[in-house]
Amino acid sequence: MPEAKVTLINPLGLHARAAAKLVKLAVNYESSITISRPNKQKSADARSILSVLELGAKQGTELLVSADGIDANEAILAAAELIESGFGEI
Amino acid sequence: MTMSNQIGGVIVSHGQVANELLSAAETVVGEVGHVAAVSIGWHDDVEAAKGEIERAIKQVSHGKGVLLMTDMFGGTPTNIAAMFLKENEVELVTGVNLPMVLKLATTNGDATLSDVAKSVEEQGKQSIYRTGALLDVHKTV
Repeated sequence: MPEAKVTLINPLGLHARAAAKLVKLAVNYESSITISRPNKQKSADARSILSVLELGAKQGTELLVSADGIDANEAILAAAELIESGFGEI
Repeated sequence: MTMSNQIGGVIVSHGQVANELLSAAETVVGEVGHVAAVSIGWHDDVEAAKGEIERAIKQVSHGKGVLLMTDMFGGTPTNIAAMFLKENEVELVTGVNLPMVLKLATTNGDATLSDVAKSVEEQGKQSIYRTGALLDVHKTV
């Protein structure tokens, strides 16, 4: 499965509205996107806002974005770009 | 978010808690057309409150059932809401919090009322963390 390593840069971390943006993006892809925190052995389904919030990720947290499906590469690139852009908050 | 085959939801609380929970959920996930809020004033008449809940149930009901979410077991909003319990039609979960509202708001149209009620109850319990202990701020957990 392809994956990308990203770091959260926005000051508020993966808060509710940022998580909602990620969910909105994730539902546009066939592939299921998984966001994980390798250090904490936690992972979340990017389509579920509650699952994403429970990662408890803050500014500086390293995340692994992976996806499984026909458009996995595009999905990962898009999700990684959103996260690395600070969810448009910076 | 508004799908006619979805299970409806009504948040019932003392004071404005219900309205504010719904509005917070909508700030996060956008409009949630299948959930309504009923705020019962501290001095409201029981019959008037009952009428308001009944209207809200009708408003969000699309044939798949309605989940009532109240603020506190044993409180008046719960006791009034419990009058509407009906198997496979109306279920009630107490102790509503924002993750529970988000859970219902983002549940798709395939699940049955009792499954949704169970998952909302589970979500509410799971979403409570003693955060300091989680972050290892305290030495003793």
